[in-house]
Amino acid sequence: MTNLNKYDESFLKIFAIDNSQLSELKYQSIESWDSVGHMALIAELEDSFNIEMDIDDIIEFSDYHKGKEILKKYEVEIN
Amino acid sequence: MPETKDSDLNYVYDINQIIECQQNRYPVLLIDRIISIKPGSEAVGLKCFTYNEWFFPAHFADDPNVPGFVQVESLVQTFIMTFLSLDKYKGMKTNFVSINNIKFKRKIIPGDQLIINAKLNSLRRGLATGNAIGKIEGETACYAEFIVSIPEELEKYKPKFKK
Repeated sequence: MTNLNKYDESFLKIFAIDNSQLSELKYQSIESWDSVGHMALIAELEDSFNIEMDIDDIIEFSDYHKGKEILKKYEVEIN
Repeated sequence: MPETKDSDLNYVYDINQIIECQQNRYPVLLIDRIISIKPGSEAVGLKCFTYNEWFFPAHFADDPNVPGFVQVESLVQTFIMTFLSLDKYKGMKTNFVSINNIKFKRKIIPGDQLIINAKLNSLRRGLATGNAIGKIEGETACYAEFIVSIPEELEKYKPKFKK
């Protein structure tokens, strides 16, 4: 499984959405991505990529694309 | 008749110490004592039910027994003591996120003492997961698995972005 697959799977699993919704996905753009959903997503990504994110990065993680940029800091390339 | 052991009467937190840790109050503070505790890991709570409880006359007049929602509250109030006993979280409010696998195995009636064993499986950035099992005289009465949030803690990690 590629990093992109793992990244996408985390969103699909936590938010129970379709692939087609991923590219437009932003915090609070769907009901399930609320503050609790946000913590669940971060925990899922941390487990998937075996990383621990800083608080500033968790706060900045505001949409699907921004998340890819943030994960680069942890040497996780999502291509 | 089951024997009451001296160890049943020992406790580590009385009602005032419970009140210091959590913000539930009468009529919805539904544990009386914490019998033992490992902060950040597990807690054992005690709830004694008497006919003077506000819900017994209404549930039911001819067959008083403890409503399910009261049992769930007793379970979760013991569960939240596993982390509200830590100085960092003491006195904070909590909210339910989810309750799963609830089981009610036997009727609880006036005079029963519910002993609740609660376990904290994880506590990460304001989200706590775990479970609690309530027993009466060693027999399982109720069980549930919980995810509980600490809003004050959760707030620190919310994205700045607004839609």
